[in-house]
Amino acid sequence: MARLIRTEKEVEGRYEEVWLVVEEDALEQWPAGPREIVGRPATRIDGLERARGEAVYTADLKLPGMLHTAVLRSPYAHARVARIDLAPALALPGVHAAIGPGELDVLVEECGFQGVAVAAVCADTYAQARAALAAIEVDFEQLEVLIDPDEAVARGELIGEPRVRERGDLERGLAEADVVVTGEYRTQVVLHNSMETHQAVVQWLGDSLEVYISTQYIWGVRDEVSSSLGLPPDKVRVVCHYMGGGFGSKNEAGDFTFIAIELAKRTHRPVRCALTRREENLASGNRNATIQRLTIGARADGTLTALGGDYVNATGWGGWSSPVEGPMQMLYACENVKTTTWAAKINQPPMKAFRAPGFVEGTFGLESLLDVLAAKLDIDPLELRRHNYATNDAADGRPYSSKNLLECYRRAEPHWERRHEVRARSTETVKRGVGMASQIWYGGGGPPSYAWVRVGADGRATVVTAMQDIGTGTRTAMAQIAAEELGIPLAHVTVSLGDSARGPFASISAGSSTTPSMGPAVRAAAADARRQIEEIAEQRGTPDAPLGEIVGLLEDAQILGKGGRGPNPTGMQVLTFGVQVAEVAVDVETGEIWVDRIAAVHDVGRVINPLGASSQIEGGIIQGIGHTLSEHRLHDPRTGQILTTSLDAYKLPTFADVPEIVSELIDEPDMQLTNLGSKGLGEPPIVPVAAAISNAIRDATGAEVHELPISREEMLRALRAAALKEKVGAPAGI
Amino acid sequence: MHSEVGTTLAEALRDELSLTGTKVACAEGHCGACTVLIDGVPTLSCITLVHTVGDAKVTTIEGLRDHPMVHAFVREDALQCGFCTPGQIVSAVALVDATPKPSTEEIRHAMAGNLCRCGAYPKIEEAIRTWQD
Amino acid sequence: MELRRASSLELDGGTPLHGGTELVPLLRSGIVQAETLVDIRGVVPRGIDGSTIGAGATLAELECDPQIPDALREACRLAASPQLRNVGSLGGNLLQSTRCWYWRLKWPCRLHRTSDGFGEECFAQEGEHREHAIFENGFCASAHPSDVAAALVALGATLRTNRRELPVADLYRLPSEDDRRTTTLEPGELLLSVELPQTDRSVYLKAMDRKSWGFPLVGVAAARTEGETRVALAGVAPIPWLLEGSLDDATPLPRNAYKVDVARALVKRAVSSLEAS
Ligand SMILES: Cc1cc2nc3c(=O)[nH]c(=O)nc-3n(C[C@H](O)[C@H](O)[C@H](O)COP(=O)(O)OP(=O)(O)OC[C@H]3O[C@@H](n4cnc5c(N)ncnc54)[C@H](O)[C@@H]3O)c2cc1C
Ligand code: SF4
Ligand code: FES
Ligand code: FES
Repeated sequence: MARLIRTEKEVEGRYEEVWLVVEEDALEQWPAGPREIVGRPATRIDGLERARGEAVYTADLKLPGMLHTAVLRSPYAHARVARIDLAPALALPGVHAAIGPGELDVLVEECGFQGVAVAAVCADTYAQARAALAAIEVDFEQLEVLIDPDEAVARGELIGEPRVRERGDLERGLAEADVVVTGEYRTQVVLHNSMETHQAVVQWLGDSLEVYISTQYIWGVRDEVSSSLGLPPDKVRVVCHYMGGGFGSKNEAGDFTFIAIELAKRTHRPVRCALTRREENLASGNRNATIQRLTIGARADGTLTALGGDYVNATGWGGWSSPVEGPMQMLYACENVKTTTWAAKINQPPMKAFRAPGFVEGTFGLESLLDVLAAKLDIDPLELRRHNYATNDAADGRPYSSKNLLECYRRAEPHWERRHEVRARSTETVKRGVGMASQIWYGGGGPPSYAWVRVGADGRATVVTAMQDIGTGTRTAMAQIAAEELGIPLAHVTVSLGDSARGPFASISAGSSTTPSMGPAVRAAAADARRQIEEIAEQRGTPDAPLGEIVGLLEDAQILGKGGRGPNPTGMQVLTFGVQVAEVAVDVETGEIWVDRIAAVHDVGRVINPLGASSQIEGGIIQGIGHTLSEHRLHDPRTGQILTTSLDAYKLPTFADVPEIVSELIDEPDMQLTNLGSKGLGEPPIVPVAAAISNAIRDATGAEVHELPISREEMLRALRAAALKEKVGAPAGI
Repeated sequence: MHSEVGTTLAEALRDELSLTGTKVACAEGHCGACTVLIDGVPTLSCITLVHTVGDAKVTTIEGLRDHPMVHAFVREDALQCGFCTPGQIVSAVALVDATPKPSTEEIRHAMAGNLCRCGAYPKIEEAIRTWQD
Repeated sequence: MELRRASSLELDGGTPLHGGTELVPLLRSGIVQAETLVDIRGVVPRGIDGSTIGAGATLAELECDPQIPDALREACRLAASPQLRNVGSLGGNLLQSTRCWYWRLKWPCRLHRTSDGFGEECFAQEGEHREHAIFENGFCASAHPSDVAAALVALGATLRTNRRELPVADLYRLPSEDDRRTTTLEPGELLLSVELPQTDRSVYLKAMDRKSWGFPLVGVAAARTEGETRVALAGVAPIPWLLEGSLDDATPLPRNAYKVDVARALVKRAVSSLEAS
């Protein structure tokens, strides 16, 4: 029986209440451990078409008569369009239309950041559109820029109210402490740089609209577009079969989609609007910089008595205040905690979610300072973490749906033990050490999400759901789940996704939510199909007949199963956990850092595809290494203009930057969570990387790193500070 | 083909010949996604002017679709979003043509010009190591 | 734009194009304008013959040729990326422009032509200059990006053009108020080959922001001949920098003093490795 319920839904650490139609989820979870197909390594079912270059990405799509767009973006961090004349652009060959401020919401006159869209031109070729763009006559009046986040906070230039989260009494906790450590940590702006840039191709068909877009959320785009255009939602069809990475930056429609829609409307032609790499690095979002001023108080035995944090998110001209205080609030048991988080509104491009937004940054600060505390107390860092283990949600006391962090710690021990041997390999100039950090993050997914499963006379099944596979391998995971439930080989399942007109509503692919949101729906749909087949078998008096025999009778008839994602367990906190242990070497004369090895142990419930899971872990760790060591969006300090928009200046990790990566998953189903017990794995692996590396550096050299990236200058600064401290003499002990 | 002077090989392949297996991710020589072979040598098609190619032989991913390397990539899960993958495979094929059993060092050196934002590197290394299996 | 193939060393005002790894992006971003491109690959020598290297040799050829001294080989091996080294030529490498982000983003700085002459400001000096010069940065703070040039300067190489012969170091000049050029190359002049004198041993060490495919934050080339060691640096001055004085003479900017420490360590290592072996 269907029921309408109200339930809580979390995406990227933000909660909202949603209405939900649920069916009774009568399915028992499968027993723990690898099954026939689920829990065993599977290669990607769409691997071949991607590898052979046959998969058609939005970037590859060419519709008949399609026009190309170039977008005029503000070159200044803060400016007003004093005058703009599109006529010269319109006069150029091949140009079909041009639009400017006032003609579309996303084209603005008041430019709060460099890269905001001001005008757009479409033409037969991209080169013509570019030439036309250059012909637009525009005068900008430059305005005063505000780029220092602390100053923005002081001036009250904020996005939203400061977020204060408090439990117990911080002052009392500090008074009870035997030791108090404080530290200021800073993290930089990091750019997503998905290999496929943000782009869309749109076409109007009568009063309907087709949007082909590189997106993590086709339903979100459909709703955003339909509501902003005042169209019935089903008049907007959103398609994304293959996409070249998103990492959180492709959750929304974006200016480029709206520009293409308007130009297509005016020209009655299909229109492509694609960001260049340089536009991508201005206007498609970023992980914002943070400043974290932290205090930890503890008793001599290591018990945390106080955690305090003042956090500034350098959010940019728009966006939201990421939960950078989350780790401090949630990771450890502590009675007295107070955090305040400000979102500074500055003349910099708006942030967007980037793989565990806030938690990557916050974990770096918290876990780095925790190691400083461990050293002061002379307690083994791993012991200190165990000592303050939270058995219920540290922030609000709710029980966890499942938590196997202690098991993660236990499995990390052999890696942690290596530190003696690693340190012993240090030389005069190259110091080696090992560091660890814990991980906490969301990843439980949530409703609603639906799937259909179609079984034909040939005994093969197709999963139909309008979700997207952003490269995380969800197509394959869904096929595994359906194959397992139906009891047919994986090769007999295909997955049809990526089209809002051809399948039911499916979850966003963000917040590590795709598998935990979609998986249960797919399993339910497959179970529904299986039940129907069993009923037919029963009616025919052959209850034990294999599936193939029953459906073999179908001819053109089909078995159609449908399934929905049930709610998350009421009153429980669904989270993912883990720990990573990093081994580094530091050249103390040149400040060069090598990450030699990272061991990762994560608890994300049941593992559907161990092969794909290890790829996710490796990918997350490698992005984490870029974030920790080399990636840095730099701007001109006087004007706020961005200087690192190209991939020679913005340094992503290359093949040569990759350490040995050892990954392990606990693979314990979360018994409270859905019919699968699986949580998401997209984000957890990036969360502790920076902290584990900075702690390893501390272990190796005694130097305390306070800023990301740990560039040569930061490393050498930290080494100098450590040497000075040693010379002056360590501060009196406790 | 009648491209204007200044047209790049990548543009000619993708826009004029509709060979979209070759991807463009930066269009300025900074990422390796657009790698093709020119007379067997890995080259960035996004900064190669098509008029300089002359009668050299250009091999794109379309010409390598049945190469064992493609299967090695799928088998080892050496791709995630897949956008960098054609370029990776082209570079990898050139490497093993010259050195059928490359060492880890050789793989890392030869593949350093192909960025993968998804971080499939460890599995790419494995695919290249085991491509003949 | 027009493109033709060179049939002789006289280009008649055309812009020479070799591998295009530097020129094509500059053309496409509008920093360089050219009416006629001349593909010079057919006329510039590219072989490696003992101590003579054709300017058309690619970095990929140089990185694995045993005839090449270690410093140059290593400088090539650590430069750019495999695909870029496959087509990037020695000559083109020596003539690459600065990677200063202000310059590459067309800020109207002292090295860019404006509607009336040249820009009047160096934006890096008071701006973001962590990758910029620590020597001779008073007029233009750009850092010379060529690993290869530093190696050749340390090796004491000579350059042959279709007009003259000169020490590699003399190909470069510091830009000034009156003359903004960073090389002494004359219009129509083509680099043809490099001649390497005998050296006993040489070495190249490089500091980058990541483990490969990075321009040198600091590159140190050192070459030893008959007991004398020459040291030249990349990434520390607007031109390849022959280290004659000491690193104490460096004049770093507020955000790049770390380069002095890095350079000091690498110079010490380079020199002692030559003495040790
Ligand atoms: C992303 C990237 C990273 C790089 N990293 C490094 C690095 O780490 N270290 C390093 O040292 N270099 C690096 N480089 C530079 C690279 O080595 C050069 O771009 C390459 O060697 C240039 O050679 P080319 O044949 O492609 O030159 P082209 O682009 O063809 O020409 C470059 C310039 O030289 C002129 N020219 C070329 N040949 C001659 C000649 N024989 N006579 C006269 N003029 C000539 C051209 O007119 C043009 O102005 C990098 C380049 C890129 C794009
Ligand atoms: S360093 Fe040189 S190239 Fe860069 S802004 Fe200053 S003058 Fe221009
Ligand atoms: S697309 Fe050619 S190198 Fe990036
Ligand atoms: S697989 Fe996504 S960029 Fe390499």
